[in-house]
This record gives sequence, structure tokens and C-alpha cells, in this order.
Amino acid sequence: MDISLLDPNYAEMLKARDALYQVMDPELMVNIMDLGLVYDIQFVEQKLHVLMTLSTPYCPMGESIVAGVHHVLETTFPEHEIEVNLTFDPPWNHERISPEGRLALGISN
Amino acid sequence: MADIHIGKAPPLSAVLPFYATGALYFMALCVQFCLSPDSLTGHYFNPHLLAMVHTAALGWGTMIIFGAAYQLLPVICERDLYSSLWAQWSWAFLTVGTLLLVLTFRNFEAGIWMLTGAILIAIAAILYFLNTLLTSGLCKSYSIIRLFMVTAAFWLFITIIIGYLLALHWVRPVFQQSHLEILRLHAHAGLVGWFLQLITGVSSKLIPMFLLGKSPRTIYLSMAFFLQNGGLILFLVIGFFFTLTPLLILFTSLGIIAGVFCWLLYVYDAFRHRAKKKVDMLMKHSLLSLLCLIAACCCIPWMIMQSGFQSVFMYGTLIFMGWITGIILGKTFKTLPFIVWNKHYKSLTGKQKIPMPKQLYKQSWVNLQFYLYVFGLILTITSVAAKTSIGLQISAWIWLLLSLVYVGNVWLVLTHRPKLVANEHI
Repeated sequence: MDISLLDPNYAEMLKARDALYQVMDPELMVNIMDLGLVYDIQFVEQKLHVLMTLSTPYCPMGESIVAGVHHVLETTFPEHEIEVNLTFDPPWNHERISPEGRLALGISN
Repeated sequence: MADIHIGKAPPLSAVLPFYATGALYFMALCVQFCLSPDSLTGHYFNPHLLAMVHTAALGWGTMIIFGAAYQLLPVICERDLYSSLWAQWSWAFLTVGTLLLVLTFRNFEAGIWMLTGAILIAIAAILYFLNTLLTSGLCKSYSIIRLFMVTAAFWLFITIIIGYLLALHWVRPVFQQSHLEILRLHAHAGLVGWFLQLITGVSSKLIPMFLLGKSPRTIYLSMAFFLQNGGLILFLVIGFFFTLTPLLILFTSLGIIAGVFCWLLYVYDAFRHRAKKKVDMLMKHSLLSLLCLIAACCCIPWMIMQSGFQSVFMYGTLIFMGWITGIILGKTFKTLPFIVWNKHYKSLTGKQKIPMPKQLYKQSWVNLQFYLYVFGLILTITSVAAKTSIGLQISAWIWLLLSLVYVGNVWLVLTHRPKLVANEHI
């Protein structure tokens, strides 16, 4: 997920991104940012919207991952209302994993 | 909140009792093997072996599969489980029914209690079938994996009905054929219809998921479905209404084996295109179990040609202890710790430091379990081949030790209580 330097909320976006690095996928033991599960973060007034996916629809760990996103963002941005939206368009695939995530998972390039 | 429904996992009471009971039945199976290791040297139709086979097939294999399926059906079918209550009732019926059946088989008391056991298991199978069918939503959106799940559940019911009629036949004659002929049909309806198709369906979803692999060649799965079912139906129809000559057995078996081959091709394709190159111990368990299935298929021509029972014992050992046990030993710790973890820590992620699912059991015990499994299996098979009583006795004790390690690890997971570090935030 890229963050534009020109974005007026650039500093907050970086803060949100850093917070999301703390949310782990319990099965893969890698954080959701490195897995490429987060598609977009947007600040609209007092709301923080997160658009993300799961590695598979009806992922058994889906509830805990979404709860984790809420918890870390509520702690980081207590004055914001957090909204997490799930999408499977485009569906996740392992090409989205960052080089750090690939290293952690022992994935070949 | 999310605008796409994530899906709620079924309650623990619909899943965990199956894992706990299955582990205990596995130990009961190994205890029976220790008590009568020589039952693998005489005729295969003997009370102790019948009791052991039904402990393995129902108390161990079917029990764990029911539990895992109730957890995984929502993942595979992308819908919530239709009824958790039916799942709980199916556990009660399967547990009591299996106990009755095993006890009556061990003393070979064909009669009211054996029939009652069979009826209870049939009720469990009906509940499972309806739950699978209604969860799958097969009529609304088709997928070959869902079709495998539903068809397997149907075959389980058919297997139990044949089993019930067989138990009735021992009280008053039902069939014109020999009970050994019907026993063969009953066994293969269970092995090919229930276990093979269930494992084909579940593994085709889970192995690529765990290895981050993918195969676009679902045509292999469709071919596997038609060949496995076609071969089995032909085998049963000929067996019931005509005579199964060695040539016909070979012909129908080849159809089923071709179906197995198509499924393995799909798994291999997903394995070859996996992103995760490192294969963990639990996946090795599963992959080794597939080799046991291939070895069991290789025994079939030998069984047809040989007049003794050695090949039958080899085949049975490879199927029950190699393939089914191997896949369960491998998959238990890929599912159970996550189910328990989800219950305790789901609401705490991102709030506090919490253990990960892999920390709910001892990895060193899983490693030990793997080596005992390999050693126990090799020793059992070589002892059956060489007809050595002492080898079978030693292998039985290895299996018992393995079951203790497995039960211990399952116990650790089931009795886990949340461990939080006070005031420590992430």
C-alpha cells in the first residue's frame, strides 16, 4: 500500500500504517501489512476507513484479524471512529506479500 | 464494521468434543492392538480385528473428521454451519453408537446391542449429511469441492446402512451372498465413498491454502469425482447383483485408482506452484500419508492374486494406520489450536501480548509423534509381511506410545487457559 507524500493526512497515514504492522495473521505469523492484506487507508473528517481483504473468504481467523485492526487503530486514534471494510475484489494472492513477509515465510521470489 | 460477512465459527461445543473423543478412541485402538497384536496374522474376520477396525473407522477417523468438518465446512462453503445443535447431537449418537459396536464386536455378540449401535451411528450420519448439504448451498452455487463433501456424507450413510443389514444378517439371514462378500462391499463403500472422497475434497482446499499454492487444473478434481464414484458404483452393483470375479475387481479398482491419481495430480500441481517452499512437520505427516495411500493401491493386484490374508492386512494397515491416521495426526495441530485460540484470544488481538496458536501445543511432541508414526508403521508393515508376532507386539507398543504423546498434546490444547501479561500492551 503506497502513501502519497502529497496526501494532506500523510503523517496520520504513516501512523496508522505503523499501528497496523502490529496486527498478526495467527496462522502465518506475519503482520497484515507485510502480507499485503490492507488495500487502502483513508481519513475522512473524524472517521478512519480501512479497506482490506483476507487470504481466503470465510478465513477462520478473519474475526480476530478484523478485531485486531480495530483495537490497534482505536488505541492510536482514540478521537476517530474506525471503520473496517472487507473486499475480495481483487482477491488476495501471494504476489502481494512484501519482501520482508516473503523472507519471514520462506517464500521464493 | 465490515460490509462483507466474515462468517462466525461454530461454537466450541460443536467441534471440540469430537477432537477429545477421537483422541481417546485412538488410544483405545492402540490399547486393543497391544492386547491382541496377533489378530493381524490369522483370518481377517475375527472379533478383535473387527472391533479394532470399527474403533479406527468410526471412533477415530469419522469422529475427528466430523469435528474438523463442522469447523471447515463454513470455510469451504463460505457459509455459516447450518446447525450447531445437530452437530452436537451427531457427536452424542456417534460416541455411544461406536462404543456399543466396538464392545459387541470384541465379544462378537450379534444382536440387539450391535443393531442399536448401528442405528445410533446411522442417526449421526443422517444429521451430518443434512448439515453438510444445507451448509454447502450446493444448489445455489456449485463447486467440485462442495460436491465431494456432500457425496462423501451420502456414502457414509450408505456404508452404515449396509453395515446395519450385515449386523442383522448375523441374527437372521438378509443376503443371499456370503457375509464376507457383503463385508467387502461395506468396507469399500466406507473407504472409497466416505474417507477417500471426504479427504479428496478437504485436502484440495486445505493443502493449497496451507502452502500458499494454487492449481487452476480443477478438471483433475472433476475427473477424480467421476472416476472414484463410477468405479465404486460399478463395484457395488456387480457385488450385490452379480459376481465379482478377479478381473472385474481389477477393472473397477483401476477406475478408482485412476480417480485417486487425478486427485493426487491436482495436489501435486498445487504443491509444485506453492509459494511457501518450507514444508513443516505437520505437512510432512500429510504428504507421507498420501504415499501410504499409493502403497495401499499397489496392494490391490496382490490381494486379487493371493489366496492368503497377508496382503489384506498390509492393505488395511496402510489404509487405516498409514493414510487415515497419518492425515489426522498431521491435520489435528493445523486446526485444533486455531479453534481454541480463536475462542480465547480473538477479542484480545492488538490489545495485549498474547501467545500465537502454535504456542498452545508442544512442537517437540509433534516431532516425536512423527518419528513414532514412521517407525511404528514401518515395523507393523514389515511384521505383517514377515508374519512375526514379536514385531507386531513391539509395533503395538510404539503405537500406544504415539497415542499417549498425541493425547497429551491434544489435552494441552483443550485445557489451555488464557495467559495474559498484566498491563503489558503490544
